[in-house]
This record gives sequence, C-alpha cells and structure tokens, in this order.
Amino acid sequence: MTSFGLVRANLGRNKLRTALTGSAIGLAVALVCLLLTMPAGLDALLENVASNTRISVHNKAGIVYSMPASFTRRVRQVDGVAAAMAQTWYGGAFEEQGKVTFPNFAVEAEHVAGVYPDYPIEPEQLADFQRYRDGALVGRQVMRKYNWKIGQRVSLRSTVWPVDLDFRIVGEIANERAPFFWFNREYLDQALQAFNGTGLGIVGMIWVRASDPSRVNAIMREVDEMSRNSEAETASETEKSFFSNFFGSLQGLVTIIMIVTSLVVLCIVVIAANTASMAVRERSAEIAVLKAIGFGRRTIFAMLLAEAMLLATAAGGIGVGFAVGVTRVMQAFAGWSDALGPLGSFIITPSVIAQGLLLSVVVGLIAGVVPAYGAARKPVVEALREVF
Amino acid sequence: MDDAAAALPVIAIRGVARHYVRGVDDVQALRPISLDIDAGRFVAFMGPSGSGKSTLLNLVAGIDRPDAGELLVAGERLNDLDEDELAEWRSRHVGLIFQFFNLIPVLSARDNVALPLLLTKLDKRERVRRAETALRVVGLEERLDHYPSTLSGGEQQRVAIARAIVTDPDLIVADEPTGDLDARNAEDILSLLRRLKNDFGKTIVMVTHDPRALRFVDQVFHLDKGVLLEGEGAARATAAIRMAAGGAVEGDVGGGA
Repeated sequence: MTSFGLVRANLGRNKLRTALTGSAIGLAVALVCLLLTMPAGLDALLENVASNTRISVHNKAGIVYSMPASFTRRVRQVDGVAAAMAQTWYGGAFEEQGKVTFPNFAVEAEHVAGVYPDYPIEPEQLADFQRYRDGALVGRQVMRKYNWKIGQRVSLRSTVWPVDLDFRIVGEIANERAPFFWFNREYLDQALQAFNGTGLGIVGMIWVRASDPSRVNAIMREVDEMSRNSEAETASETEKSFFSNFFGSLQGLVTIIMIVTSLVVLCIVVIAANTASMAVRERSAEIAVLKAIGFGRRTIFAMLLAEAMLLATAAGGIGVGFAVGVTRVMQAFAGWSDALGPLGSFIITPSVIAQGLLLSVVVGLIAGVVPAYGAARKPVVEALREVF
Repeated sequence: MDDAAAALPVIAIRGVARHYVRGVDDVQALRPISLDIDAGRFVAFMGPSGSGKSTLLNLVAGIDRPDAGELLVAGERLNDLDEDELAEWRSRHVGLIFQFFNLIPVLSARDNVALPLLLTKLDKRERVRRAETALRVVGLEERLDHYPSTLSGGEQQRVAIARAIVTDPDLIVADEPTGDLDARNAEDILSLLRRLKNDFGKTIVMVTHDPRALRFVDQVFHLDKGVLLEGEGAARATAAIRMAAGGAVEGDVGGGA
C-alpha cells in the first residue's frame, strides 16, 4: 500500500456519499464550463452573422428614427465604399397571424448583391428580384416556417405605412442568418405616392460594404462627419457591433447566470466541506490512532486534504469531460441541421478545460482545508481522550 | 540483546507529574513519580480507574508530556520534544496496542500492519515483506488479505500487535490489550506479548485490569490516586488482585519499584 492507496481507500469507505458529493461537484463544474463557453460562443455567433466589411448607418437618435433617402447617394460617394443599400422597415404583418412575426424591409434591389455578396442568392432569383416590382426575397427560416414556395403570392399588412402590399416570392436567401423578408423599395414608394402623393422620402438604415476591412473605420468617421449638424445626424457602426446590441441583453443574462452559478459553486463548496467534516468526525478514532503511531500533523493534514482534493479533482475532471461531451453532441446536432448551426459555436476550449479543472482543485482545497486543519492541529493526547 | 544492554533502563522516570484542567477543576492525575524499567522487561501498570496508570502510559509512550520531572525513554529526553518531534520519535521507537484494536476497516490485515512503514523510506516491496513477516510472528500468515470485519476480536488484536512490532520499536506500549477480548483470546494475547518479550527481547509496558496478566509480566507497578504504591502497599494491591480473581492467579511478580 502507498500513501495514495490509503487516500483512495479512505474515499471508498462510504461509496454512496463519495458518489453523491462527487456528482454534485462534477455537475457544478460541468455547468460552469458550459457557461464559460457562452461569451466566446456568442462572439463566434457574431463573427458568423456579421461581415467585417459591412457597416450599419442609422440615425444617431436610434434605429426607429429615419434619415433622408438622399443621404444614401452621398454615402455611396465616400471613398472606399463598394456598395450601399437603403433599407426601410415596413412592419408588415402576415395576414394569417395579424402581427409582425418576421422582419420585413423595403430595400434597393439593385444594390443587394453589392452589399451582400456573401449571401447565397441564386443569380436568376436576384435578377427576378430586380425585374419584378412586387418581387420578394425571403430568408430560408421564414420560407420554412410558413411553408412558402418560390412563385407564391403573399400579402402583408403594414403596421407602419398606410398601404398594404401583395408580394410575389421570387427567391430565397439560402442561409440561416438572414431571416428577412426583402422587397423592392420602389414598390413601397409607388404605393405611397399613389396613396398620398408623397412617396418614400426617408430611409431607416443604410447598409454599406467597404471595399477593404482597413477602410471601415475611416468610412464610419466620414459618414458621421457628413451628417454632422444636419437634422438627422448618423451613428455608424460595424455590422458586428450592430448585432451585438441585440445580443447585449443575452450577455446580461449570461452575467446573471454566471453569478448564480458562482453561488451554486459556493453551495457545492459548503456541501463538500460538510462532507469532509463528517468524514473526519466519523474517523476521529482512526485519526487519533494514526497520530499515536507517529503520523505527524503535517502528514495528517496532507492526507485529509488530499482526500478532499482527489475527490473534487476527479469529480471535476468527469464534469469537464461531461461538458466536452455535451458540446460535442451540440456540434453533431449543428451538423445535422442549419437551424441548429449556432449550437456548434459553443466549444470547450483548452482554456475552459483548464479553468474547470482549476475550479475543481480550488473546491477541494477550500472544502478540505478546514476539517483537515482541525483534525491535524488537535494534540494526540486530546484526540485519544475524546475517542477512548 | 546482550546482558549489558538488557540491564540498561530503557525508561527512566524522575519525579514526573501531570495534572489536567477539566472545566474549573484542576485534576492531579499523576503526583511526582520516579521509576526505572529495564530493557527487555514486560511490566504492567495496574490500579483502579482514575489511578493515573493510563496517564503514566501516555507519558512513557510520548503521547503526552509531563508538567514536571524528567522523562527519558529509549535514550531520548521527551520533555524537550514538541508535538511533531514526539510523533516522529514515536514512529521510530514505540509500538502501540489499544483496547479496541483500532484497525483501518478499509485496509487488509497486510496494509494495516504496513501503515506505520509509510512513515519510513522503505520501498513498497520491503514494506510488504516486513508486514507479512510481522503477521507471521503473530500467527496470522493465513489472513494477510483479510479485512478487519472478517477477523475475530482476537485476530484483530493480533493484527494490531503486528502493526506495533512491524517497525521493530524499542518499546511496545499496550493500553488494556485484553479489555475487549474473551478469556481464551485474552490468554492468547498475553501469551503472545510474553513471547515477544522472550523471543525478541522487546520491552513491553502494559496498562491492564486483567488479573491474568500477573502470570505473564515480569513486574507490576500499582498506582492509586496518582501515586505509585511501594512496599507493603504494592504487596497488598497484588494480593487484592489475586483474591479478586478467586485465587486462580499463580506466579510471583515484583511489586512497585
């Protein structure tokens, strides 16, 4: 038998308690590891959704405020701008549902390809989108949700504009990160002119694609400078920044979850410490005998602490393994379906593994140190007197 | 062990006293005592509960430290050692046997016996070899892999004795080793201790209430209320023990020092 064998044998004396305590620690560590993947996962999601050359230009006061439609032309003239597309919120409710259930925008059909070269749209469908005044390009998720087919006609009732429009679906945006319904801006403009003679003189958002990522910051500065002191000052931001605002609330949720998880970990530490204390109390006679036959205070302390740390580290290791398994399954699911694609972004990195294992060691250390110290410091004669 | 070595006192107690504070009471557990125990002797401390015999045993074993006097055991002045130094000293010089055996239930007999050897620099193979040798000495070579729960009380105490001798200590200290055993097993254990003394020259100090011990030990020290009885007092105590045992105990044992 070795010292490690003695520690291991002691852990095995109450298998159920060891298993339950280990499970609690392992699950807590797995939970923490999974949550630790979330910030990086969300970042990866943003990287997936956002291009590093696309810029959002919107009213500085907020995205619900508009800008003059003519500003789009000025933006196109800025040095380094490869393409720019005006986009206006239509707020169309699908008749059958009666409320806005997917984002739908009036866009400049001729600039879609220039701003979104990374979006998989069939060339002939794009051509149809430009050809047909009432044509609509619809994201795959929306198409699937309503079981729409290309060529199908769809009516949307606007919750913003005083016109309701009928559309012909001419194409699909064949990815999962663009759940939009785009239609031709001219169509809305003409409908409004027919309704009240004013037309669509405003734009809600201008999407800009820079010719080079290195030009992005300069373009944003120049565009915002152009609008300074006008009625509609602009605030430009990268597409990643724009979408991160939508994820902002989710990141707040992650923070809350991390706080709650920290409290859970604290509870686990207390539970593990209680278990370690019970184990020490139950074996006080044995510990007294070990001391009597010559085991010094340091040896007793190290032995008891090693027990707590071995349990916590082994359980934490299993917990980390479990978390890796869960993310692997998520990635496998992500491979089966594009809709589950984002799941693949949550990856247990070596850094997360290291943090999980470190947490396990710390849990064992904190849980074991007090009872181990208490048992070790007691003079042998007192320990023997208490138990015999 | 040669005669010269055997004649040296392995335990020299000079005016040793010990008191405890229990709540508001100051208990004088041991009044100043002086005695010598020569190497290779098998001695017993006897006396009623509270007589101070266990306190004296703890002092001799280096488990406790005296308040006054000088305590020399196995060539070491124990007064000067702190808790850690005493632990280290015990691991090298003392083998301990308890009334309730106190084996580790999750370890086999072999591993229980090898336990004190974890404190040495011996490699694993040598630790196992010595543990098996010790178990052979106590007659348990057939029980090497048995766990305490599968052994009888007598066998468990034999394992505890093997654990006490495995480091080849200068001194074996036994606290009521027969207190939890039936008559037959008690006889066997006392006989085994006697054999350790006879065959291996071990010095054995034992606390006991068992009158049968009179037949096995070389010398009895009687204590009462923290005082070592000597002369007539010691003789009367021995006679009282014999009488309490119904005169069944024969043999001649020495009185107090």
